[in-house]
Amino acid sequence: MSLEQYRDVWAYCVRDGDGLTRPSLEIISAARRVADKLGQRAVAVILGYGLEKVLDEAIAAGADMVVYADEPWLSQYQCLPYTRVICEMIEKMKPYAFLFVADELGRDLSPRVAYRVGTGLATDNIDLAVEDYYFGPTNTTYKNVLAQIRPDFATRVAKIYTPRHRPQIASIRPGNFEPLRMDPKRRGELVRFNPQPVEEDFQVQIIGETRRPKSAIDLEGAEVIISLGLGILRDAEGNPRNPREAFQLASDIVKLLREKYGLRAEIGATRALIYSELKELEGLITSERQVGQTGKTVSPEIYLAVGISGAVQHKVGMIKSKRIVAINCDRNAPIFELAHYAIKEDLYRVLPRIRQLLDGG
Amino acid sequence: MLIITLVKGVPARTTQVQTVSGVLKREEMELVLNPHDAKAIEAAYYIKRMVGGKLICLSMGPEPKIVPIMKELYEPKEDSRLVPRICFGGVDQNILLSDRRMAGADTWATSYTLAKGIQKIIQLHLEAVDRLEQAIGTAELGETARALHLSGLIPHHIYSELPAIKDSLVPRFLRGDIGVGDLRRHLQEYRENLMRFIIIAGMKTTDGETGNTGPQTAEALSQMMGRLIPSVAFVREMEISPDGDHVIAVRSIGSIIQKLRIPIPCLLTVHTEYEPKIPDISLQRQVRVRGYIPQRGKVEVWNADFIGADPSKLGLMGSPTIVGPGYEVGRPPAQKVVGESLIFARDVERTEWLGKAYGPFKAGELVSNLPQDLVEHLRSRGLIRVFTLEDMIGELFGGLKVVARAV
Repeated sequence: MSLEQYRDVWAYCVRDGDGLTRPSLEIISAARRVADKLGQRAVAVILGYGLEKVLDEAIAAGADMVVYADEPWLSQYQCLPYTRVICEMIEKMKPYAFLFVADELGRDLSPRVAYRVGTGLATDNIDLAVEDYYFGPTNTTYKNVLAQIRPDFATRVAKIYTPRHRPQIASIRPGNFEPLRMDPKRRGELVRFNPQPVEEDFQVQIIGETRRPKSAIDLEGAEVIISLGLGILRDAEGNPRNPREAFQLASDIVKLLREKYGLRAEIGATRALIYSELKELEGLITSERQVGQTGKTVSPEIYLAVGISGAVQHKVGMIKSKRIVAINCDRNAPIFELAHYAIKEDLYRVLPRIRQLLDGG
Repeated sequence: MLIITLVKGVPARTTQVQTVSGVLKREEMELVLNPHDAKAIEAAYYIKRMVGGKLICLSMGPEPKIVPIMKELYEPKEDSRLVPRICFGGVDQNILLSDRRMAGADTWATSYTLAKGIQKIIQLHLEAVDRLEQAIGTAELGETARALHLSGLIPHHIYSELPAIKDSLVPRFLRGDIGVGDLRRHLQEYRENLMRFIIIAGMKTTDGETGNTGPQTAEALSQMMGRLIPSVAFVREMEISPDGDHVIAVRSIGSIIQKLRIPIPCLLTVHTEYEPKIPDISLQRQVRVRGYIPQRGKVEVWNADFIGADPSKLGLMGSPTIVGPGYEVGRPPAQKVVGESLIFARDVERTEWLGKAYGPFKAGELVSNLPQDLVEHLRSRGLIRVFTLEDMIGELFGGLKVVARAV
């Protein structure tokens, strides 16, 4: 089967209650963009049970077609049955590309799908393009392949291509594509799939499902993160300070950003600060807030590194932030190598002024 | 139970990575254990202490770099740079898949290779049972069992000379305490148990950061074995039934927390937040007899032929994805230092200065590469000034329409 016969850009969408998740809308937007470049269709793929309400939403969000399976045995996410149904859809309809969200569900599901259909998977992309790719070993130029653009080793991005296989499967990191404006007048085609359950797929039993408490600290979804490091233990003169003060200042700023500016803001921390287990920060700075190699990888719009020297292990967790502000009185701190904005002053003087400025002062 | 942990060597300094046309040149960097794999080893050790068995670490990579890491997995040195202190104790064997043909593999080709390695591990243990069965009724049985036991291929309850384990199977048979039928039945039971293996992987690596290899290895193995091996990613809590029949695991998937009953064999990847439960001490004896002699200090190195891999599915050529050119993005093009950097106070038109043209410039733009006397001149006219904290807040939050939520 020739590669040209594979057409359309699919986006695997996830229902949450009566709607689609925001990252699902983002990848419909991404699929739309790629499809328009190729003159192909953007297709939303949805699996679940009781999907009536979300099918039209996918069209309104930019899809030309929705391919879906609406079955009681698909009501809860399970890797094996979902993998089988999706692979059957691919086998039958042969998409050019297939996008997933690079979240927990996407990372559980897309690798198995890609392996089973025998194609490549580029993970964690932040952008997509369509271009020609020359492959040296076979001396072939592949026309109109998907350039899957992902962060690569801290300070670089790399383009990943899947030139010889279809579909080209890519997972997209949330927050990199803007959902399209909802257009309820858009028309599209609904294609229902009627898969049969296979017993072997139900070896894993779901014995309980609960909703994750909403109060949890959401670093990955934050638009602004103020991260604290060991530098908060002292001021510029080297006098010890109660780190609780810095935490309070950061909390005040977060509160302002949330309430006054409508931003999703959170407090983060370095591993060093968390593992020093300071009594003053007990229950406030916990491992849920850890940014870095063994913690969370974040990519907010704005990242304020407060009293953070910038160990590599920390940098790899925050380098994808769009704009980085570093506040540190050590002029030689490595964090400044990454900073778009550098404040080489005492954080205990800078933070109150930032608070005041944000408060309209 | 065979408890197989997938581990990987990753660059110690993730910022200084040498690439040759986009492919990692691992030979030229110092590699350390992927930090997430420490959690996988902890989980595997918990399982071993609950149900007994053999904890095997399996890796793929360049021999000179990975062997030192794997040696330390038996017992890390004081202040080891290669392996974190938390992950030692309980590793019985280290196996490395290493072959030039495996180099440059993406996650598809890596998973194919690892699955082949896992298949080989199981096959070797099954063959050990074959050899034992063939020796029944011959004078070699005792010697065969002893050799297999020493090489860690059969567990203590089948053969052991350890004083603590008195009643292992083969010696009892040789003493005439049990008949040949009993011996064969026990061996058959053990053979079936070998198919109840568990594979544990970290949730991702710190170099590739994909998290694909765990689930893809389960899929590759499913295809090779002709039966579905389930995979569950991001396990946060986990308990194994003492009979080794299944695990109960908790993982979150988006806004949902799922509690799952996963039959064994299966593959799990463990989340950073996973902490092992305390194993049930009352099981200690039965756990001990199911153990194997650890192969301390040794790292077995297997090539593609030994594991029976199809060369066209290995390495760069077996990889559906190709890494194209990378480019630097880390360093911001221009840094503004509060209280130090100079910016244009207003839009400034194209300016001639000593026969050369400069600009135009936009308000707020960083002043760079301008002759010092021109800077002084513009500064004296109030067109250039020092960048302030107010400016920064304005740039970050003033244009908030860009980031502000619609609702």
